[in-house]
Amino acid sequence: MEPTYSNGEFNFCWRLRYLLSEPKRFDVVVVRFAGTRIMLLKRVIAFEGEEVKFYEGKLFINGQKLDEPYLRYPCYWNLPPRRVEKGCLYLIGDNRSMPIEDHYFGQTLKSRVIGSPIW
Amino acid sequence: MVRIKFLLMGGIVLGLSLTLLLIYPQGEEKKIKKQFRLFSELVLKDSEEDSFTLLKKAKQIGSLFDDPCELKMSDPPLSGSYSREEIISFAIRARSHFSQLALKFYDLNIGLFQEGMARVVLTSRLIGRSTSGEGIDEVRELECLLEKIEKKWLFKQVEVVEVLKK
Repeated sequence: MEPTYSNGEFNFCWRLRYLLSEPKRFDVVVVRFAGTRIMLLKRVIAFEGEEVKFYEGKLFINGQKLDEPYLRYPCYWNLPPRRVEKGCLYLIGDNRSMPIEDHYFGQTLKSRVIGSPIW
Repeated sequence: MVRIKFLLMGGIVLGLSLTLLLIYPQGEEKKIKKQFRLFSELVLKDSEEDSFTLLKKAKQIGSLFDDPCELKMSDPPLSGSYSREEIISFAIRARSHFSQLALKFYDLNIGLFQEGMARVVLTSRLIGRSTSGEGIDEVRELECLLEKIEKKWLFKQVEVVEVLKK
């Protein structure tokens, strides 16, 4: 999630963040990766039913190019279109300077989103 | 008086049954945790080992699994049904590839269902160094199905949970 969040940084998860609301596009969320202690920080970019694709590093949602002002590093990814499944969110990191195979991103169940970082 | 006696005996039998029902799962959970601890101990490699030790450890690892055992893993794509012999072979190759290896399990969530069946969701961490010096430190959530066969809990299915699907 560089440069938004750096390796080795310290933060807290606000677990009540989505108690009465739903994650919005571009929200940075805390995702339960394994067990109760291993979490990921990722950004929400698409919702169920939407089509996601990458073309020459640009993100397209339902065929429309998405403006991502938080990106700082160049990205050259190409990813064929795929639809976000029911009950899922599409999450991605901000650091896309590495090959697409090395970046851990994709759709996950909404129930895996447990909150958002406090800062 | 006789009725009271029967009621009392019925109450004692009921109490004992309830107590056993509470103790039995805890006893089985301990046995399941022991299997994971044993798996972890058998995988551990912190120095060079001779062929005899390699083969012995691989066979012991294989004995923890049912024959066949189902593996569900999309990255790398290794999903399929594996015989015990195939698991032993895989363990030999993996141990030969690494000079140091450790597999640790955390946060075991054990659910007993049916007679002799258990589902365990847990966190696994694989740490190691290959013979070429490449380090590995991978954390994954696993969902395992174990079956009690001849008084031993054996791994029947192991699934590496895919949290983020591209």
